[in-house]
Amino acid sequence: MRSSLTRRELLAAGSGLAAAAALPALSGCSSLASADSDPDTLVVHTQLGTTAPGSPTYLAAVDRFREENPGVKVKNLVNGDDLAQVYETSRLARKEADVVMVNLYDKTLAWTDVGATVDVKPYLDDWGLAGRVLPAALADWTDDEGRVRAFPYFATNWPVAYNRALLDRAGVAEIPTTGDQLIAAARKLRAKGIAPVTVGGNDWTGQKLLAQIIQTFLSQEEARHVYSTGDFSGRGARRGIEYFTYLRDAGVFADKAQGLTSDSMTTQFNTEEAAVQSAMSSALAKVPEQVARHTEVGGWPLADGAAHDGPTVIRAYTLIGFWISPNGVRKIEHVEKFLRFMYREDVVARFVTESGRDMALRTDAVSTGFPLVGAAQRLGSGVSQVLLPDVYVPPAAAQPLITATSTSFTRGTSPARVRAALESAYRSA
Amino acid sequence: MKLGKRWLPAHILVWTYAVLLVVPLYYFLASAFKSNDEIFAHPFAPPSSLGLGNFRTAFESADLGLAVVNSALVTLLSLALTLLLAIPASFALARSTGRLAGVVEKVFSLGFLIPTFAALFPTFLLAAATGLFHTRIFMVLFLPATALPLSVVILVQFMRTIPPEMEEAARLDGASTFAVLRHVYTPMCLPGIATVLLLNFLTFWNEYLYSLVIIGPDPAQRTVQVALPTLKSITGTDYGVLTAGTVLTLVPVWLVYTLLQKRMQQALVSGAVKM
Repeated sequence: MRSSLTRRELLAAGSGLAAAAALPALSGCSSLASADSDPDTLVVHTQLGTTAPGSPTYLAAVDRFREENPGVKVKNLVNGDDLAQVYETSRLARKEADVVMVNLYDKTLAWTDVGATVDVKPYLDDWGLAGRVLPAALADWTDDEGRVRAFPYFATNWPVAYNRALLDRAGVAEIPTTGDQLIAAARKLRAKGIAPVTVGGNDWTGQKLLAQIIQTFLSQEEARHVYSTGDFSGRGARRGIEYFTYLRDAGVFADKAQGLTSDSMTTQFNTEEAAVQSAMSSALAKVPEQVARHTEVGGWPLADGAAHDGPTVIRAYTLIGFWISPNGVRKIEHVEKFLRFMYREDVVARFVTESGRDMALRTDAVSTGFPLVGAAQRLGSGVSQVLLPDVYVPPAAAQPLITATSTSFTRGTSPARVRAALESAYRSA
Repeated sequence: MKLGKRWLPAHILVWTYAVLLVVPLYYFLASAFKSNDEIFAHPFAPPSSLGLGNFRTAFESADLGLAVVNSALVTLLSLALTLLLAIPASFALARSTGRLAGVVEKVFSLGFLIPTFAALFPTFLLAAATGLFHTRIFMVLFLPATALPLSVVILVQFMRTIPPEMEEAARLDGASTFAVLRHVYTPMCLPGIATVLLLNFLTFWNEYLYSLVIIGPDPAQRTVQVALPTLKSITGTDYGVLTAGTVLTLVPVWLVYTLLQKRMQQALVSGAVKM
């Protein structure tokens, strides 16, 4: 049965050889160019790069940087929501990127503490870039020990967008500024088959709106205490929860809001199925032109006895920052070039004008091509600002709070149960 | 051919099942040609145009071409290694009658009990310790390890059905143990091998968590399952682009599946002729 080399055996041998040749290509030659592997390559781990708002501008800016700095190669590693997890595992293996572009929320809150990234304050000062940062942004990125977690970059306004045409169709003459007006508007909208306020009650958009409404009766200092400790037993927090459940059970939110996500929220608003949404500016930039044309931005309506002078909005400066990793410190001269470039006025202006992003840096640029983003920037003393709780919520409580949010948006859940759900999110953490 | 009334329930069930399969597939394919507004406003309406804009956007922005090549490399090499290990192991286990072989076979079966998540951290540590973290080669070595329990269990069962007389006849002709495996067992087990290939191909191609953590997000190395989620955005995903990207990544799966199905049928026929 022993035979000479047949065609089949030849093919098998060929496949084996091909596999043997492919294996080295799979490992060493093209392995991740981390900080220690190539001193002239700056590795940037970012959420920009595909379809996230601002991606084309970011990629164009990086191309420009390459042209201006031919000696420095830039490699982008792109991840979506899973960036933090991927970065952390890379850091454990000491193969993390040099610079990370991500927001300050959940896992990233602990990065400076555990040494996953470094305090950037000395660099910010030495490179003379501190003056470019808005003071409020610098404060938000600074931790309790005075360390600046990252170079602030993107900010966001989080107003409430009202579709004027849908409100008119339902017979709502004025943009609601009080809870009772909002309830009356919701009834008229429902009568016309239009969903009132759409919200992702099952994700972070619902969590932010819930936090915004709870803060109706809280000063910023009180809100900071509530969201740092998870103690919702104070009078202001309890009244805020009661206000939320009052609005919810009066039908203010879209049906089955507890199961909706940010995607369904933006789609319902953009397709004019719903008349109102609380949306950050990057989502406002994506509102189709025909809807944006008759949309107005404002704040969340207040209740009697509120701690604020006008309808509330969220403003946050912690959307995206440039974090420097321990690997990045080894290539700090490249990092410096890159960050000086990204902080340049013309580069910052491009993000505002081309992508409609709000910046945490000083800039004179205005988003003319993104009317709703521009309108949100111009909201002045007519609205009152509440805290974005992200920076104060302990990292381990962030995800349990999302679960508690879904419970809160479920109709019929009593204020006591909402409070219990929120507090248990902190306890489980 | 005239069908009696007794066939009616079977027909209804078959057609219902077909509709259950076809409707989601149609929705998926139609969405790939639509904008978000069209998808949500009229989910089941046919697309207004068959323009390839969504496909182009998905392909370019997520660099799907390179990702497909990476997935193909990892998948094919892993499959080759799986077969290289599973066939001799199954051959040995199928022919052995001793107590030790029984224990070894049970040890392979125990592999089913290891939950995917439980193995993630030790696997990560192993990758880091071996210096193979952020390389595709670690996945090429790791995926066959995860596939061996199922592959060995299937192939052992196939090989046990081969009558011992076949081997005895080959031995009388002077065949070595390797020749028995090569010329008797392997051809007769081709349906089993094709089954193992099919199952493992789907598992390897669709693997996400380990590829994300171990290979990482480098566009030069990442697999298609890691590249695809980058089309999702927290502030409004373009589902037309996302489904178009998903369609593109499914084309190779569909091709391989069709090809292997035919091969499996051919294997059955050619095995019969050889007998």
